[in-house]
Amino acid sequence: MDLKDIKAIIDLMKKNAISEFELEKQDFKIRLKRGICGASGAQVDDSSGANLLPAVTQGGPAALPVGTAPTAASPGELEIKSPMIGTFYRAPSPEAAAYVEIGTEVTPENVVCIIEAMKVMNEIKAEVRGIITQVLVENAKPVEFGQPLFRVRSI
Amino acid sequence: MLKVAVGDFTMFEKILIANRGEIAVRIIRACKELNVRTVAVYSEPDSNSMHVQMADEAICIGRAPSSESYLRIDRIVSAAEITDVDAIHPGYGFLAENSHFADVCENCNIRFIGPNSRAMNALENKAVSRALAKKVGVPTPPGSDGLTENEQDALATAKQIGYPVMIKAVAGGGGRGMRAAHNDISLIKGYHTARTEAEKAFGDSGVYIEKYIENSHHIEFQILGDSRGKIIHLGERDCSIQRRNQKLVEETPSPLIEGKFRDLRKKMGKAAIRIAEAAQYTNSGTVEFIVDDQGNYFFLEVNKRIQVEHPITEEVTGVDLVKLQIMIAMGEPLKLSDSDVNIKGHAIECRINAEDPFDDFRPSPGRIEMYYPPGGPGVRIDSHAYAGYTIPPYYDSLIGKLITYGKDRREAMDKMNRALSEFMITGIKTTIPFEQAILQDPNFRRGFYSTSFIDNLLGGARRELIEDKV
Repeated sequence: MDLKDIKAIIDLMKKNAISEFELEKQDFKIRLKRGICGASGAQVDDSSGANLLPAVTQGGPAALPVGTAPTAASPGELEIKSPMIGTFYRAPSPEAAAYVEIGTEVTPENVVCIIEAMKVMNEIKAEVRGIITQVLVENAKPVEFGQPLFRVRSI
Repeated sequence: MLKVAVGDFTMFEKILIANRGEIAVRIIRACKELNVRTVAVYSEPDSNSMHVQMADEAICIGRAPSSESYLRIDRIVSAAEITDVDAIHPGYGFLAENSHFADVCENCNIRFIGPNSRAMNALENKAVSRALAKKVGVPTPPGSDGLTENEQDALATAKQIGYPVMIKAVAGGGGRGMRAAHNDISLIKGYHTARTEAEKAFGDSGVYIEKYIENSHHIEFQILGDSRGKIIHLGERDCSIQRRNQKLVEETPSPLIEGKFRDLRKKMGKAAIRIAEAAQYTNSGTVEFIVDDQGNYFFLEVNKRIQVEHPITEEVTGVDLVKLQIMIAMGEPLKLSDSDVNIKGHAIECRINAEDPFDDFRPSPGRIEMYYPPGGPGVRIDSHAYAGYTIPPYYDSLIGKLITYGKDRREAMDKMNRALSEFMITGIKTTIPFEQAILQDPNFRRGFYSTSFIDNLLGGARRELIEDKV
């Protein structure tokens, strides 16, 4: 299997929203996993709606988890959090490629996403050094202050 | 989203509350009764706050300091945009009287629930408002015309009106930015200090000078104006019980007016409306006056917002002021006229602050262990507190308001005494024991008090306060 084939499989996975693919042949094994949000159902499809809007619990106040991803960051993993309120975009324009993907290496100065607030497109910098391990927000979804956007494994 | 709009009336589907604490809870309650969905905004330490839990949606807008959260116009408007609200209610304090914020909202097609920019500008600071009142023939305390630009000005004004005088910051509010001077020396010193403080606290070093009326009575009138120019008043509130210019106990009707100067209500009510009309005021506001012991009244300023003590007016008139604010903002014309407003019975409010009255009212933030509020007929609590709630140290100390209503002043006082003694809050210190002492003071019970009441209570003969029962 060469790189061309692997790229073809990845494209097929994206097109068909397949998150995991595993192939084992006699002397060869390959496992491909897409880790972006939308693929791991828990982050988007939970009953309280988008992460930033906590469900109102009937029957009295209780501590509500606000804007937290269901799994905590593991040690050695950093989070890039939103510094503002607005709409999250992964690419500078609808036709352009995303600023980062899983596996992209970032330096503090790299732009990782756009947050649009009051008609202004704000470029958000990584401010950390490492490799993107998770994209926590779907494209064009609203984000609030402090909401985790990406997980980064520091190197 | 289907929006209903008929003429200049637009039904709101969703409102964002740009505030926190008890007033945010109050606004959410009015919205629920009007079937309007709510969006709360909150700072990080407020994530477990009552208003966040009651609202339909909630957006975190920043870290603890107000300057990074509740005062951030950009973040609040962004939150309003991503939740697609029709209007913003600013509550009181924070951005409630910020005309720039009102402008930004309008530019973003979001209705600001409060007076329009024109009215805000006509009353933009205390000096401008004083000039407007003079123009329409409403008496103001003797004092400077416009700002006091330098020492010579200050001395000349003081000579003209006579000591004692009050140096006031034009951009001050909520009882802050005022200092008294009793002679030339303290005037010069106070003038310079006041300007520096004003610059730091309000971003505007402008000050003016007014006669300091001793043993005064702070009496304010609630007004409402709709978008068609109709303005009414809903009676007065007596807020003379103040500690360091912060109101603590308020009541309506005013015992001074009821007891000694009955004709003042009509006179002052008319004056309040004259000022509001001159400013083309819309939505809810309060016209503040000072009354001396001879029944002479003087205009102080207009508070261009819903006020903390609005519940006592609601209790004696049966009018829901916050609901009316929302409906006026929707474009609904005021159906009430002055003659429809019926003031019945008597209401008293005690502000419950997280402060230790036995330790110079030091703020007492922290976790509320037990919280049992009073109840029964004629008792109302407007509060965001609950057992297990941690009061953050970053904001004001008001944790709730206790309001009682009775068919007359005696009954309202009896209920307040009962309610204060039932109110159990542990884990933090509160002003409840101090308010018990106020309610049982013979002068208060007779309705004989002025703005020097608390000073006298704290420094005078009656030093012992009711001990904490818990």
